[in-house]
Amino acid sequence: MSKTVTLAHGAGGRQTSELIDQVFKAHFANPDLTSDDAAVLSVEGGKLAFTTDGFIVSPAEFPGGNIGKLSICGTVNDLACMGAKPLYLSCAFVIEEGFPMEKLEEIAAAMEKTAAEAGVKIVAGDTKVAGKGQVDGVFITTTGIGRIQENVETSGFKAKPGDAVIVSGDVGRHGCTILLARNEFGIEADVTSDCAPLWGTVKSMLDTTKDIHVIRDATRGGVGTVLYEIAEQSKVGIRLNAADIPVADGVKGVCGMLGLEPLYLACEGRLVIFAPKEEAPALLETLRQGKYSANAAIIGEVTDEMPGRVMMKTEIGAETLLPPPGGELLPRIC
Amino acid sequence: MEEAVLKKSAKEIIESYDGPKLRIMEVCGTHTHEIFRLGIRRILSDQIELISGPGCPVCVTPVGFIDEAIMLALDHHATICTFGDLIRVPGTKKSLAAARSEGAKIQIVYSPIDAVEYAKEHPEEEVVFLAVGFETTTPASCLAVKKAKEAGLTNFSLLTANKTMPNAYQALKGSADAFLYPGHVNAITGTRLCEELAEQGISGAVCGFTAKEIMTALAVVVTKLQEGKNFFVNCYPRVVTRDGSRSAQAIVEEFMEPCDSEWRGLGMILQSGLKLKEEYKDYDARIHFDLPPVKGKINPACRCGDVLQGKCKPSDCKIFGKGCTPLHPVGACMVSSEGACSAYYQYGGISNE
Amino acid sequence: MCVGLPARVVTLKNGMAVVDASGAKREVSAELLDELEPGDYVMVHAGIAIAKITEEDESETDRLMEEL
Repeated sequence: MSKTVTLAHGAGGRQTSELIDQVFKAHFANPDLTSDDAAVLSVEGGKLAFTTDGFIVSPAEFPGGNIGKLSICGTVNDLACMGAKPLYLSCAFVIEEGFPMEKLEEIAAAMEKTAAEAGVKIVAGDTKVAGKGQVDGVFITTTGIGRIQENVETSGFKAKPGDAVIVSGDVGRHGCTILLARNEFGIEADVTSDCAPLWGTVKSMLDTTKDIHVIRDATRGGVGTVLYEIAEQSKVGIRLNAADIPVADGVKGVCGMLGLEPLYLACEGRLVIFAPKEEAPALLETLRQGKYSANAAIIGEVTDEMPGRVMMKTEIGAETLLPPPGGELLPRIC
Repeated sequence: MEEAVLKKSAKEIIESYDGPKLRIMEVCGTHTHEIFRLGIRRILSDQIELISGPGCPVCVTPVGFIDEAIMLALDHHATICTFGDLIRVPGTKKSLAAARSEGAKIQIVYSPIDAVEYAKEHPEEEVVFLAVGFETTTPASCLAVKKAKEAGLTNFSLLTANKTMPNAYQALKGSADAFLYPGHVNAITGTRLCEELAEQGISGAVCGFTAKEIMTALAVVVTKLQEGKNFFVNCYPRVVTRDGSRSAQAIVEEFMEPCDSEWRGLGMILQSGLKLKEEYKDYDARIHFDLPPVKGKINPACRCGDVLQGKCKPSDCKIFGKGCTPLHPVGACMVSSEGACSAYYQYGGISNE
Repeated sequence: MCVGLPARVVTLKNGMAVVDASGAKREVSAELLDELEPGDYVMVHAGIAIAKITEEDESETDRLMEEL
């Protein structure tokens, strides 16, 4: 591992796992430590899911949301992915000296609204102010707890050959939105973040069938990173059909301009679901009626060939590998 | 009608070819990337070998260039504007990404013209654009200098490593039975050189970048090679004309002149580079900052040079996939997703060989 | 080598063109091309329009295969 922490260590790909394995796991290992979205803890009367997430998005406001909405969605979605109804959240703010009060109120209002929609209560908090330049605007950390629904057991280790792979909507919108909002490349496109609280979506799926093996929300590393994680954890191969992967036009255009793969752009309101093939049509129908999953699609299947790898059928009908996640996203221009 | 039915499609031609072994070099890194991305190697007849050529600017940029850029960033506190891929290329001691974590200011830009805009907006910073690339990219760098001059900027310069293909084709002659020429280079230069090369016995076809265009150009090359005569075919006429872009050629001639140039792996190739002309020396970062001559040191185990010349496959290199991976690249071919080593590694297992 | 992006010219002004590629818009230099009009398709590389695109790849490749 490199001697210093680099941006690639925070990109959600392999370097992030390396860092977690070699530094954090080495010190924190215990039977309850999770590599899923949330830890599953057994308590009297059932099982709880428990998770935490930090948010440092720049800019703090973007089309489709702001850091406040994001900080609720991120934690609510991590709980939802374990089949848990989100119950309580805490939030910790680190605010840069000089940050406009008005913006802070907008952020808090977005948190209130999103928490209400997700049916979760914010019950504890912490506020720190850091000197000018010590943080970029505002950083938020949220921690959440939820009750896992009966007879539900989802985990990244449970994908099985024969499972269908479903995404709950078009991929890469959040990452693309942030990239555009930073305005580093002078590109404009009509793209808004997919940022959304997904407990309702998960609940509608669980009401359709409890036979779901994996639910994971694709965040900073995008859907591609999630697929590789699950292929490795479940020791299975994943076969995608490129033509079936939903990508919004604007996202396609931006990716074309910068040589980026939409599967590796961040999402903040997209689930990747693995369920037995027989359950897939009903799940898809349910999803397509949902507010945040109208363009859900079956994008592939799980195989016992090439465990740990994600293969893709391309537009010429050949099969090739989806290149594994590579760290910091760098535009390829020349 | 019947004839049309009997005629084979491009895909069928490249799938079913069973004549003598053919070696075709795709010169352009974007072709390498697309060929892997589409899985074309997977459908190709075993009798057709594709060799990934030197047309990835990141891959042929020498170690010393990265060292110079780092020197500018860390010692001279210049803001480096660059295309994204370059920041991961290892220099003698470190990459620009590592320099960034030590405080170097590095901006990733989409266009050299954006670097000029950045310099305009930040008059207190010295801004250096890392001018890499081939004939396609150089006009953009020249336009940037033109705009900087028009705006009267004194805080903008280029660190040049621009390359030109003609002498590289000569250096690579014999590496393959035919070239797939880099369509976007030909969009600028036209095709007369390719015609001349065909007369000298170097065959090839200009190739576009969609799946259809790549398969068609391959099918044309495979068919023509079987006919046994030297040939040149422009398989990308919707973008490439015989004369190319006169105005792009003119702007490059106005601002730059040929120089000898070091290609990572291939060594020094005479008159294969471009540098700013004397009258634009104020925009030459080496002169502007009075940089000392820099000789970079390459890791001796790395075989990028042989890979670029088609002398070995990436997997023949001892450090491939072991000491050298896309996350921890040793050679430049492992850095860019256009690099042959990176493409072999990323798409490895099922799509090469 | 040189990633090219096919895009449609939306507007033209002072040697700059706003181009649209599947919904992504950007201003690029059009100084190297003469006689450009809105609606034309161009190949864009590193922020400049390097060539006009005269037809679809479909008809181009069909013709090449016919001539073979």
